[in-house]
Amino acid sequence: MNLILNDLSPWHWAAGGAVISAVTLTLLFVGNRRLGVSTGFENVCSLVVQTPYFTRDALRGTNSWRLPLLGGLLIGGFLSAVVGGGWEPFWDLGMFDAEIGWGNGGKLIWMFGGGLLIGFGTRLAGGCTSGHGIFGLSNLELPSLVSTVSFMAAGVVTTNLIYRLIL
Amino acid sequence: MILFYLVLGSVFGFTLSRSGAADYNFIQGMFLFEEFQLYGIIGTAVALTAPSLWLLKRYGRSITGQPLKIENKPGHRGNVYGGILFGIGWSITGMCPGPILVNIGEGKVYALAALAGTLAGAGAFGALYPRLAKPFRLPPLQVGTGEG
Repeated sequence: MNLILNDLSPWHWAAGGAVISAVTLTLLFVGNRRLGVSTGFENVCSLVVQTPYFTRDALRGTNSWRLPLLGGLLIGGFLSAVVGGGWEPFWDLGMFDAEIGWGNGGKLIWMFGGGLLIGFGTRLAGGCTSGHGIFGLSNLELPSLVSTVSFMAAGVVTTNLIYRLIL
Repeated sequence: MILFYLVLGSVFGFTLSRSGAADYNFIQGMFLFEEFQLYGIIGTAVALTAPSLWLLKRYGRSITGQPLKIENKPGHRGNVYGGILFGIGWSITGMCPGPILVNIGEGKVYALAALAGTLAGAGAFGALYPRLAKPFRLPPLQVGTGEG
């Protein structure tokens, strides 16, 4: 199967995993930080929301590295498109288009709703695929195993409900 | 150091983009047990990071000679309930937090809506923290649920 982005063929999974591991270890060894993306959304919120949760030092003190890391993720995706067949705004959504087939407005609502669950859920769980799934599991942390099993199971149930049961 | 984090984030983002980790079809394929790709990526990353991390912790220092700072995440009921909510969101959008940004970078317009929802969700969580702390047995507000 090829990627939705410019129909590129994907890297071998071992190459992807190896680079992600190298990024994780470099971040720790050079930056002395544990990998994690989802807290970065709180850092973004802290720029505009002035409630006690978003102004606490434990969060604001990490703006200086989490915000550039998030910016880098945007740049990485952009470069991937530029050197991989060209960049242009697009709406293609693979099997969602083929089997659900909602238009652009429907996709925006679908994505916003899913995003709400991601933002609220990752922060309630204290991490996401990177913080719990990669770093936490590698560091043999029990809360990370609990969270990873929970989000993987919920994803399996949801996708199977959508594509096998409803459709 | 800002440049370091920007470059590291870019390498991370490029990899997520090209490996399929930021691709709706590959995420659904993972959850349907039809595509091995994502299991291979996450499995390889953990299999390589775990022993390296163990060695690095034994060495105990960062590159500048500072003591290594690794705060373990606290355990609480949010691990399960938050994980479930996130898993549903991951399935719906085909994106976990890193790939939301990667997909925007790639030019996928709908990913902007996913980011807006995610920021609203994180904002709502922060606003409700004082009320969620007791039922989910979360750490004190100053500590938070765990950096992730």
